Amino acid sequence: MPLDGLPLFSALKGAMGFNGARVEVIARNIANADTPGYVPNDLSGGRFAEALQAQARMGGGLGAAQPTRTHRSHLAGPAIEAPTWEESAAPDSETTLDGNAVVVEEQVARMTQTRMAYEAAAGLYQKSLAMIRLAAKPPGR
Amino acid sequence: MSTDPVMHIASSGMRAQSARIRIIAENVANANSTAKTPEEDPYRRKVAVFETELDRATGLEGVRMAKAVEDRSDFNLRYQPGHPNADGRGYVKYPNVSTLIEMTDMRAAQRSYQANISVFETQRALISRTLQMLRG
Repeated sequence: MPLDGLPLFSALKGAMGFNGARVEVIARNIANADTPGYVPNDLSGGRFAEALQAQARMGGGLGAAQPTRTHRSHLAGPAIEAPTWEESAAPDSETTLDGNAVVVEEQVARMTQTRMAYEAAAGLYQKSLAMIRLAAKPPGR
Repeated sequence: MSTDPVMHIASSGMRAQSARIRIIAENVANANSTAKTPEEDPYRRKVAVFETELDRATGLEGVRMAKAVEDRSDFNLRYQPGHPNADGRGYVKYPNVSTLIEMTDMRAAQRSYQANISVFETQRALISRTLQMLRG
């Protein structure tokens, strides 16, 4: 069974993907901090924490794995929707006369937040992996 | 090894800000350059204009300094009747460069440059953190 079958791991992987994509959007905003007419973008959605909580309420612990239907009379497990995200315009607090709506300080603050979220997800992923490895170790070793 | 898109964007931002600082340096260096003859105009202030670029070969986005446009505001006139370039009324045309504005602009360019460096550093740290997961 691949790790992605466990909701915790797929949620953490999704969170890392979301924050990694957000870093790219912020990088583009910062590089264009002086381009006339440029309006910065941001990602909305990516609600992985809520998805994980909903999953925990249904299955408990690391979350129930998704059963595969190998026969038509099998019941499908609860539907787990992977959170999606989308990119949209998000102007900062000031727009200059040439139409540029990027405030570098706000973008850098957002980037620091995103970096912390990414590192948190990566750290949790690593720790959860270590737990599984610990559980799989033969006793007495 | 293909370039990470974020690092490409950040390095193009750094390059663009460096080009902007070069234009500012030209302005400051020529702040007092009069023309060779009384009829010609002295040095005219230049302003860097950026634009987003899409590298068609690699599909990577970035920014670049598209051109340096000339500032069409009036030249500074100084009353110097003894100057060889003085006009009929004794005024000499000096470049429309204000050193104070150039210094402020340079500080803004420097700040943007540092923001791009921090983007580069953040991406490097994230990739390094991800690779660390391999070490268990």
